[in-house]
Amino acid sequence: MSTMKRIISGLTLGVCALALSCGASAQGRSSLKINEVMVANENSVVDEYGNRNAWIELFNLNFAPMEISAVYLTNDSLQPRKYPVPLGDVNTEIPARQHVVFFADGEPNKGTFHTSFTLTPGQDNWIGVYDADGITLIDEVLIPASLEPDQTWARTSDGTGEWALRTGDDSAYITPGGANVIKDTNKKIEMFAERDENGFGMTIMAMCVVFSALLLLCLSFYGIGKIGAGISKLNKMRAHGVTRDEAAEHHVTHDSGEEIAAITMALYEHLNAHDTESTILTINKVKRAYSPWSSKIYGLREVPEHRRK
Amino acid sequence: MSFGDFIQTNLTQFWELTGFANAQFGNFVMLAVGLFFIWLAIKKNFEPMLLVPIGFGILIGNIPFDSTAGLEIGIYEEGSVLNILYNGVAAGWYPPLIFLGIGAMTDFSALIANPKLMLIGAAAQFGIFGAYMVALAIGFAPDQAGAIAIIGGADGPTAIFLSSKLAPNLMGAIAVSAYSYMALVPVIQPPLMRLFTTKKERLIKMKPARAVSQNEKIIFPIVGMLLTCFVVPSGIPLLGMLFFGNLLRECGVTTRLAKTASNALTDIVTILLGMTVGASTQASQFLTPQTIFIFFLGFMAFVIASSSGVLFVKLFNLFLSKDKKINPLIGNAGVSAVPMSARISNNLGLEYDPSNYLLMHAMGPNVAGVIGSAVAAGVLLGFLA
Repeated sequence: MSTMKRIISGLTLGVCALALSCGASAQGRSSLKINEVMVANENSVVDEYGNRNAWIELFNLNFAPMEISAVYLTNDSLQPRKYPVPLGDVNTEIPARQHVVFFADGEPNKGTFHTSFTLTPGQDNWIGVYDADGITLIDEVLIPASLEPDQTWARTSDGTGEWALRTGDDSAYITPGGANVIKDTNKKIEMFAERDENGFGMTIMAMCVVFSALLLLCLSFYGIGKIGAGISKLNKMRAHGVTRDEAAEHHVTHDSGEEIAAITMALYEHLNAHDTESTILTINKVKRAYSPWSSKIYGLREVPEHRRK
Repeated sequence: MSFGDFIQTNLTQFWELTGFANAQFGNFVMLAVGLFFIWLAIKKNFEPMLLVPIGFGILIGNIPFDSTAGLEIGIYEEGSVLNILYNGVAAGWYPPLIFLGIGAMTDFSALIANPKLMLIGAAAQFGIFGAYMVALAIGFAPDQAGAIAIIGGADGPTAIFLSSKLAPNLMGAIAVSAYSYMALVPVIQPPLMRLFTTKKERLIKMKPARAVSQNEKIIFPIVGMLLTCFVVPSGIPLLGMLFFGNLLRECGVTTRLAKTASNALTDIVTILLGMTVGASTQASQFLTPQTIFIFFLGFMAFVIASSSGVLFVKLFNLFLSKDKKINPLIGNAGVSAVPMSARISNNLGLEYDPSNYLLMHAMGPNVAGVIGSAVAAGVLLGFLA
């Protein structure tokens, strides 16, 4: 029995550990995405020293802040640990659904957001982001050599979507540290306002969902009720040592709850099974101890008791 | 500066900080509303657990003060104590805690024994979407209309949860409206129930519900959560907590947790929720034409929800055999004002037949209404957020 218990405990712990590890990876840095890259920066954003360098924008796809210190940035898949994001900088925590820009200037001593490598215009540039173990590749992108100065290679939608060239014009704007798609309105609400002015569409869809959910529940519990009744019937037959065929032959209808209650009450009255009362009435004084939360009595030490021999 | 001037200057400055110097007409209106709520709760016994904290919260929130003085006392001033307590409302984490308590308090046996009653809970959600359509017609944006319409679910925590996500600026009015109408359920519902039923229908006697096994009671929250949340994942915070609370109650091995969830925890959250919702109704934010519309729409949503529940039962009865007919007086209980609306069904049933106890039957649609309104909130959130 104890071995069985140990096996069950072990299995439970194993399942919990597996669930936790899955949960950790689901909530972890896998949601860190390379979002936009500029290789040749001639007129785009300047760093805090006033210099223009290639830049790499990362995006936190999570709806929770993400700490990226100890993550590695690299431009060489054979050297995944090329630039570790330094520890101890509060700015390495990216807020939910926000961006951070690294300057690829090869001067890591300039600050947290300056990588130890550079990007080379006119040739393919591979960029990878590795997790703190230096093995797990979180995200990668190959920037084509055809990218011209002040053009970027960016995702069509923040953190997801295909990669595409951005030239900087009105339809393909460049957004270092900002959303690749600027949303000035809530598309869903606009769509409802435009397509479902009177709300019939919403009513039909929503009521269908509500009815479906409760109908599913209703049908499930019809099924569960039937199965439960079947099981309890089987258990009863087993307890009485009756087979299914015998039970079918000698089908006995059970009394209803009301009938059983009536019989029980009649027996109770008939046997005069009343409790014998002691007929002694006891009145006790109810003690209401004074205990306000601020009472100093409870903060004081007890007075030492003097014991006489 | 002479000593006299010093005293006078300071007293003048102090006077400018007092409520008397900052009072506006709106503050007095809201103070009167707060006092009215407290009177309703104490004298008329209308939902006192809700209306006393809300009423007193209205008094707290409408003490006039100089909001430019930076005293960090107002509910909308970041860092103030009231603002910290209000976070549970604004960020929407009080309602799921209340749902945990509701789950731990609720016996779903009536629903498990007679699952078709769940459909009445679904039908009553027409109130939400009826109000949604009218809100759109009045000129509210779809997200605001959705937040207002949820008042028809007759579920305060759900209304707060949804409005905090869809229309935070209207939350105070929506919450007060939802709780007010919940308190007024005994006034609003009986005339509608009489209007839509015949005397013969009111006398329908329903068969007693079958006994529900412990296993079924344990399976219900698990299957219920999985099914409803798979259909409407946006309802997870409410439905997940509701069914979790119910599992704590029914599994039989977590009695202490169930007791805490249904007593101490619910009481604490109710106090904080009621008080902060009340305090959020500062006259400057609350007394707007929109609030009047919200109260009107809320009333309409309640009327439609109660009526559609009753009418749905009548429709349903057309397809049921004679011995399985449902008394339409339990239709009103499809709104999730638990257990008030079920009690109203019972009282009205007894009025027409003193031997016709409908309470247990009405509890079925009543708790189905809780699930239905949480699903409806999830749908609105999914479509509009």
